[in-house]
Amino acid sequence: MRAAPWTVALALAGVLVGAPSLSAQTISVVNNGGSVADAQREAFFKPFTAETGVEIVEDTFAQELAKIRSQVETGSLVWDVASVTAINDATGCEEGLFEEIDWSEYLDPADFEGVGGFGKCGVPNNFVSGGLVYDGDVYAEDGAPRSWADFWDVETFPGKRGLLYRAEQTLEVALMADGVEAAQVMEVLATPEGRDRAFAKLEELLPHIIWWKAGAESMQLILSGEVVMTYGWNGRVATANQSNDRNLKVAFEAGHVSGSQYFTVMKGTPNKEAAIDFIVFASSPAPQADYAARISYAPANEKAYPLMSEEALATLPSGHLDKASYQSGDLYLDFWLDNGDQLLQRFVTMAAQ
Amino acid sequence: MTSLALDPPTGPHPLERAVRRSERRRRLVALLLMAPSVLFAVAVFAVPIGLFLFRAIENDGIPQRLPRTTAAVQAWDGGDLPSAAAFDALADEILALKGTPELAQLGRRLNYVVPGYRSLMMGTARRLDAAQVATLDAEATRARLIEADERWADPAFWMPLKQQSGPLTTFYLETALDFERTPSGELVSVPAERAIFIDLFVRTFQTGLATTVLCLLIGFPVAAVMARASGSLANLMLALVLIPFWTSLLVRTTAWVILLQNEGLVNKTLLFLGLVDQPLQLVFNRFGVYVAMVHVLLPYMILPLYSVMKGVSADHLRAASSLGAKPFMAFRTVYLPLVMPGVAAGSALVFVLAIGFYVTPALVGGASDQMIGYFIAYFTNTSVNWGLASALGAILLGLIALIYLVLGWAIGLDRLKVR
Repeated sequence: MRAAPWTVALALAGVLVGAPSLSAQTISVVNNGGSVADAQREAFFKPFTAETGVEIVEDTFAQELAKIRSQVETGSLVWDVASVTAINDATGCEEGLFEEIDWSEYLDPADFEGVGGFGKCGVPNNFVSGGLVYDGDVYAEDGAPRSWADFWDVETFPGKRGLLYRAEQTLEVALMADGVEAAQVMEVLATPEGRDRAFAKLEELLPHIIWWKAGAESMQLILSGEVVMTYGWNGRVATANQSNDRNLKVAFEAGHVSGSQYFTVMKGTPNKEAAIDFIVFASSPAPQADYAARISYAPANEKAYPLMSEEALATLPSGHLDKASYQSGDLYLDFWLDNGDQLLQRFVTMAAQ
Repeated sequence: MTSLALDPPTGPHPLERAVRRSERRRRLVALLLMAPSVLFAVAVFAVPIGLFLFRAIENDGIPQRLPRTTAAVQAWDGGDLPSAAAFDALADEILALKGTPELAQLGRRLNYVVPGYRSLMMGTARRLDAAQVATLDAEATRARLIEADERWADPAFWMPLKQQSGPLTTFYLETALDFERTPSGELVSVPAERAIFIDLFVRTFQTGLATTVLCLLIGFPVAAVMARASGSLANLMLALVLIPFWTSLLVRTTAWVILLQNEGLVNKTLLFLGLVDQPLQLVFNRFGVYVAMVHVLLPYMILPLYSVMKGVSADHLRAASSLGAKPFMAFRTVYLPLVMPGVAAGSALVFVLAIGFYVTPALVGGASDQMIGYFIAYFTNTSVNWGLASALGAILLGLIALIYLVLGWAIGLDRLKVR
């Protein structure tokens, strides 16, 4: 039987007119993708949709601020909420790419003090720690590296080292290896002598370094035995251990570089209220604990800790927060925003020797 | 004699005119038919590239946001410090921008020239109070600015305002060639520790050239055998060439890391056979970059070569040898000139693609194997310094054009044409 043309037309019109009214409100959230996206989907997106009916569309980006800038400047927003680094949060906030929101109206600032408080425009949603990673099956507990000085000691611990091909984080690590206390690292780095000191320390280790650019590479290097130790992010280590049944460990006591990703609201979004609701939801204790357990990065909200299992807590640097060089605060942000490009050039020249 | 002429000497024959008219109409129709694709190419290709290249010389933001200051600073000789009027204008203009995104954008723009300018702008705006500054005369404003941040007493922070006050600037091109301006305006090389771009350009061209030569050396015999092989064998070989061509670039590159690493298949085999005592360093160095890049780019060499070689009849070579040419002589004087268009097309394709590579060197290379593309991507995406990114891109484009012209002049442009 052939459908009469007018039935088809009517059906089409129904689809065109009816579709928007049937579907609920939608917001678009962008994050780094990979395991971060998987964990956010389970811990934040699905429960939020179940609770509010607001659908979430996911997207991924590699922290290219250019993509946010072009959306805001041309007024064609694809995203409503972006998960960004502290540096991008600060730059985007100053340059009017994110909404300035007084988060203390919605959340208790005290809960986030442990990770450096609210960002310039965003709310921290996790706490990522970059530390000294070694293979627990290669070095027994009593012979394992315990400090960044050990990382630099190629006599006692022969073999290659993996380090991040980036000035930010790597210069901080070099200063810790040179004996600077984690809490003083940014102050020392802010002086020209401190910078020279960090570069000199890196040059010392240069012949033994294999540089990596993406988190997955760092794990590949140490899992394959190409390097005996590497700088690495704790969530990556936990994931690598689970999926490969291995015994990688992070020596947090050596000192670590730690900071958050921040949920920010894109400037001018028509879904501002839903975006705020989402961020408040994702910052509350239960989703935070769930997220932290899935990704093995610490929660940003302190109230999430009591909700976590002993097992999940073991992979977090919670006992060594005094050994952190924080990727937040005015000193850190001003330093890297002012000197980031120039130090990258110097870093690249140094590494290419 | 004119009486013998059938036509008057002036004006063409009506028939000729008619032919010419119909010719013209045909040409017009042809042009109209071509118009959409030409306009399309101009709109989505030429114009965006042109606009992006223009960013390399566009002075974005300084004179627009600080019109009075940049004007007042022109009278300054670059010696001690600018006049109190310049300080006065600067304080007013910073206060006018205070709290707007434009202040941060201006700070970032000036920070490209002098690191620290961003926090200087933001901090000064934070510390200045509009109501208070309004009551001060020019001299007192100067003192107030220097009190707010002592860097305003450093001529180095005033120089960019004087040097980059016009609608155009050479700043990005200078930076892209490792030059900077002294406070007195002279062009000097940057200190060795920051001289990065010239090395990167040289390395990029070296790597591109080496990859092209390697691809040619490997691809030429393969294509020649393929062109001579029987139907089914040729199809099989073509499939073998194309399968890696259809595999993701990242997968192919990562596969090489796994094969070539210390604990990888290649080193394990060499150790097992007793050919080496220690694993060889095959990856995270230039060797690894060449292996991975040649593997990725080989099809781009083989396919143009194959298509040209397929058209060369074996009769030519037979004729050459029947006339007494030894195999090498026949190859050099007959075969090579005939397949030269394929060599030129393949080499040009591989070279240009190789120049733009950066993911592969980033994954399989060491710190001394990175190429310029990585930094163009960094300045475009991460640092959002689009002026510098376009300057680097413009120089790269210029160098490729230069090489093409020099080659054309040396061996004739028509030989380089892809036929």
